[in-house]
Amino acid sequence: MPSPKFRWLLAKELRELLASRAYWLLLLLIGPLVGHGFITAVDLYAEASGIGGGPAALPQGLSPLEGMLVPTFGAYDLAVTLLFPFVAIRLIAAEKESGALKLLLQFPASLGLMLAAKGVVLMLGWLLAWLPGLLAVLLWQAYGGHLSGPEVFNLLLGHLLRMMLSGGVAVAAAAIAEGAASAAIVTLGFTLGTWALDFIATGRGGWLAALAAYTPTAALRFFEQGLLRLTTVVALLALAVAGFALAAVWLHTGRRLRTRLLGSLAVVIAAAATIGLGSLSRASWDVSESRRNSFPRADEAALRQIREPLRITIFLAAEDPRLMDFERSILNQLRRILPRVEVDYAAQSRTGLFEGAEERYGEIWYELGGRRVMSRSTTAPIVLEQLYQLAGVSPPAPADEPAFPGYPLAKHPTYANWIFYGLWPSAVIFVWWLTRHRRR
Amino acid sequence: MLLKVKGISKHFGANAVLRAASFSVHEGEVLGLIGPNGAGKTTLFECLAGLIPTDAGEVEFQGYALAPAGRKAALFYLPDAVRPWAGQSVGWALGFFEGLYARPKGEALALAGTLKLEGLMKARLGSLSKGELKRTLLALGLLTPYPLLLLDEPFDGLDLRQAREVMALLRSYPAKGRTLFLSIHQLTDAARVCDRLVLLSQGRVVGEGTLAELQAQAGLTAGGLEEVFLALT
Repeated sequence: MPSPKFRWLLAKELRELLASRAYWLLLLLIGPLVGHGFITAVDLYAEASGIGGGPAALPQGLSPLEGMLVPTFGAYDLAVTLLFPFVAIRLIAAEKESGALKLLLQFPASLGLMLAAKGVVLMLGWLLAWLPGLLAVLLWQAYGGHLSGPEVFNLLLGHLLRMMLSGGVAVAAAAIAEGAASAAIVTLGFTLGTWALDFIATGRGGWLAALAAYTPTAALRFFEQGLLRLTTVVALLALAVAGFALAAVWLHTGRRLRTRLLGSLAVVIAAAATIGLGSLSRASWDVSESRRNSFPRADEAALRQIREPLRITIFLAAEDPRLMDFERSILNQLRRILPRVEVDYAAQSRTGLFEGAEERYGEIWYELGGRRVMSRSTTAPIVLEQLYQLAGVSPPAPADEPAFPGYPLAKHPTYANWIFYGLWPSAVIFVWWLTRHRRR
Repeated sequence: MLLKVKGISKHFGANAVLRAASFSVHEGEVLGLIGPNGAGKTTLFECLAGLIPTDAGEVEFQGYALAPAGRKAALFYLPDAVRPWAGQSVGWALGFFEGLYARPKGEALALAGTLKLEGLMKARLGSLSKGELKRTLLALGLLTPYPLLLLDEPFDGLDLRQAREVMALLRSYPAKGRTLFLSIHQLTDAARVCDRLVLLSQGRVVGEGTLAELQAQAGLTAGGLEEVFLALT
């Protein structure tokens, strides 16, 4: 049970959130954004399912996670990048600029408790903004669409952690920067920086690739693929908490600059240590119904016999579709099973267009216990066979594992236009008007 | 002795705003901090409240050293020229302070009555006039339960009638066990409401005491606070 002081602080933050135009704008826009993603996704899904007698894709290729959930909730990635930071910044910056912070710092509660109240309210506000997404899920079910609970919850967890990270960055920026505008620039600069890191690290190994795995976009991608990784969860939580801790350090205007800098350093070290410790864990769960992040169970059991580090040297450029295919269908799975996988991206260019003269382009070398083998294949059964030979492990007997059946749905998104483009914005405007006129 | 301030100094870059300011606050008095604009009154209050760090000096509360982190348990500083939570109503702000500081139910309403805020309970803080906002902020400050209250320019923005009413209200607080330390730039107001005075000029305390004591310090046998202030600064 929260203390009475915390309840008063929560109530204050909730009122401040509802007084924020940035939040109402977020609510207003999120409906059409989700609606656009949902309607487009359902239409495409219906086409792929052979609506109107058109050519249909193989059912096995039709997964509601990739076909509907990810594009629909993609709107939240956009919102958390471009809209939500302004909501979070306002909760801090408005109090700094109005002088309320001087009163706040004297309240009979710690700054940590006050920031916790802001964090809880931001989360509640974000959960309220999920309503259009949840409406889309209900509509999908009403159309007869299939949903897998673990996939849905994993994706929602990813978006929640993504919001917490974004909130942490925005709150820290608002606390450190002079005004709301500077804080917004810092926050957007952070986002652009992570995008750049994501781009630069594609198809590269080493520390850059390791770091890029924790950018908001890359971290969310794991959840979108139906993968729950402990290290990603720990990293996102640590970064979010670090953002709020930095805010607590910098909002305390009574501390000297040197004290604040030392406090910031301590926060950064603590966050880095937590992420570093978390990265030692390989714990992950493939919650996708299609087991897209896993090899067949028999193969996984055979691969677990390999204890030596596997070194893979890839002569494929970052933007070569074969590399993406290799990453998606082989590397990700190997990283989850084998104790140590080192990858060396040996191609020189990003596109491979200028590597025509490079004889080795397209080769993938596997090295295990001093033995080496080369392959050009990016197909899992072929690669696995070579790995078994290299490791001296007997290949498993073909097992009769049930295949993912796929879930076609040839339905148009009926009523979705009305709900997301008409009903939702009207409801938001009406509730906003009510809060403006009925507040004490 | 409720509070003893010893040698507080504060620089903003090369600009020395407070220069070894020392004085005492006695229990149950209304102490006035007077000085011209830019004398360092607000900076002194913010240093005392622990809202900005000092470069030197210390504060004792009831005979014990009081670190900046512990100040909010002993005193409350009500700043001037703040407009907090502009989108919220006066009624909410009073209720919030009453609840947060666990004050007896109805105290906020009673203060609203005393400060003539009843008609403004639904008005947004952002829409209040300067005087209305000042009275609201005063109510918020008076709702806090600490033995020492630091009020920055409590009469600024109030008309003559309101200023006199607020003075009467503030004068009643020492009897309730509260000590008030008011920063005032209007010397006539200061002379009317304060028991003792601290004169601040260019960051230095140039005088401290009752009007009679200040007259003696200034070597005057007669004259009001203005004459004393001019003589000492």
